[in-house]
Amino acid sequence: MQPVIRLEHVYKTYGVGDTEVRALNDVSLTVETGEYCAIMGPSGSGKSTAMNVIGCLDRPTSGRYYLDGVDVARLSDSELAHIRNRKIGFVFQQFHLLPQLTALENVMLPMTYAGVPSNERKERAVVALTRVGLANRLHNRPNQLSGGQQQRVAIARAIVNNPVLLLADEPTGALDSHTTHEVLNIFSELNASGITVVVVTHEADVARQTRRIIWFRDGEVLHDHLTPEDLTQMSMVLS
Amino acid sequence: MNIVESVKMAVKTLTANKLRSTLTMLGIIIGNASVITMVGVGQGAQRYASEQFESLGPNVLFIIPGSEEAQNRTLDLPRTLTLEDAKAIASQVPTVNAVAPQLQTQQPITYRNRRSSSLVLGTTPDFLTVRDFAVERGRFFSELDVQRRTQVVALGADVARKFFGESDPIGQQIRIRNLSFQVIGVMESKGAFLGNNQDDAVYIPITTMSSRITGNTSPYGTEVTFISVNARNEASVNAAQFQITNLLRLRHKVTTEDDFTVRTQKDALEIVGNVTNALTLMLAAIAGISLFVGGIGIMNIMLVSVRERTHEIGLRKAIGASQQDILVQFMIEAIILSAIGGVIGTGIGTAGVALVAATTPLKAGVSTTAILVAVGVSGGIGLFFGVFPARQAAKLDPIVALRSA
Repeated sequence: MQPVIRLEHVYKTYGVGDTEVRALNDVSLTVETGEYCAIMGPSGSGKSTAMNVIGCLDRPTSGRYYLDGVDVARLSDSELAHIRNRKIGFVFQQFHLLPQLTALENVMLPMTYAGVPSNERKERAVVALTRVGLANRLHNRPNQLSGGQQQRVAIARAIVNNPVLLLADEPTGALDSHTTHEVLNIFSELNASGITVVVVTHEADVARQTRRIIWFRDGEVLHDHLTPEDLTQMSMVLS
Repeated sequence: MNIVESVKMAVKTLTANKLRSTLTMLGIIIGNASVITMVGVGQGAQRYASEQFESLGPNVLFIIPGSEEAQNRTLDLPRTLTLEDAKAIASQVPTVNAVAPQLQTQQPITYRNRRSSSLVLGTTPDFLTVRDFAVERGRFFSELDVQRRTQVVALGADVARKFFGESDPIGQQIRIRNLSFQVIGVMESKGAFLGNNQDDAVYIPITTMSSRITGNTSPYGTEVTFISVNARNEASVNAAQFQITNLLRLRHKVTTEDDFTVRTQKDALEIVGNVTNALTLMLAAIAGISLFVGGIGIMNIMLVSVRERTHEIGLRKAIGASQQDILVQFMIEAIILSAIGGVIGTGIGTAGVALVAATTPLKAGVSTTAILVAVGVSGGIGLFFGVFPARQAAKLDPIVALRSA
């Protein structure tokens, strides 16, 4: 089986000449299908840039990026939009639910861009919301839901198009420890059911829930295969 | 995303923000309503004036003092037309059927203790033919009355009612400028002509008028205010115009600029058309400005909306909306706002036109052209003023949009 993510010598630079900044410096990285990994690193380490490239929100300056076997590094904006729609599910720190839509409608949104017929859309949205435990909150608007529930709606929205990759950017950054657990449990369950999950986080507690930690520093991959145990040791060293 | 989905989505967004959507539409509503009302009123005025001139009949010509240029220069025109001119036209122009010189002024009229001021119109019996007037009771004055300068009067319908009510005025004496006149007839009601009530007038022989009331004020003979002429038929109107012009040039010994103008009904209609067209255009232009301002209102709100919904746009792009999807979404919102505004504005404008038609003599009507243009223009305004904000939205970088505070 081909890997979900394969970055080959990826560079990402901003600006030119003296002001040139290398946000990613020769990054090569492979994430296999079914993995559950975290991307960590101090701020400015390039982990956000890496997430943008992996999430097809941005293109590498040079190098190759195969997502699910497809070379996406040189695709046009609209082709990237299509890839994001079909292959990637995003979960954001700020949930980014549309306030005027109900939970169900928010989850249906990616399918409208995918051209799924409306009756099927509703069915699949209900299934996705049931999977995150919100079958009884279908018709609530975001402002009628708690933070944890809103993030679960966002997760349902991320998985509803059956993506090959669930990409979460600080998914628990706006949640308390109790709801953080809820959300991480859902990630674990989804991963157990076969979905590849990549979480970008700076919280060690979150990273420890994954099975592999990729550590960025200065735009490079410093550690490619840390385990949660390694992380515990590192944090002990750091403290 | 297909169009139906986009429209549904736009409606949802717009209804989520009812107050803002309504306020945005208001500009377009007012713009559309005013365009339709103004054009309706302008065209109503045009139709009204045209009908008035058409009611004169196609064979009518008017001879008025002063050249066309002089008429543009001054209101105090030389009194160049005379009763003798009218007689000469009647006897020497073969294409002319009847000639009615008119000499008219406003004069005090009294009957016993009642008094009023009405138009006193001195003319000849041909007036009935030329202007298509008829006597309801009694008789109009005759050629003999004109020759003898008798003091007889035919009353306009309103004057008769005002002085005599239900009683019979025939044979009674009324006073015009302290001269006693015997009532010999009452005219049929004719209504208003260009806002002048033709029933609030009395008719006397033109000779009586000039000798007893106005006096001979023209150095050339018995002055007349203007002369109405009836050509033999529609085909001879142009010939009549030519012949009358030549005759009067000879009579007035014109060497350079004419001191009179001969106008046909067609000329009059043309003038009325020009004036009212200009009026309609001006009204439409003023209304058009408000439509334009409404469009700017839409653009304004859309721009604010794009800023406010940066997160939404970023999110939509992240989950798979292409630039085109976002562009279409915002365009549709703008078009829906302006189209609904256009329809409501058209409704209000139509009501406004109906109100004008019901309360004024203007034959105001809703023109399909005005509706099509107004709705088309407001739809176009939605497109035009929606494009810029929509492009701003479409071009937003999803990363930036999602990260923005």
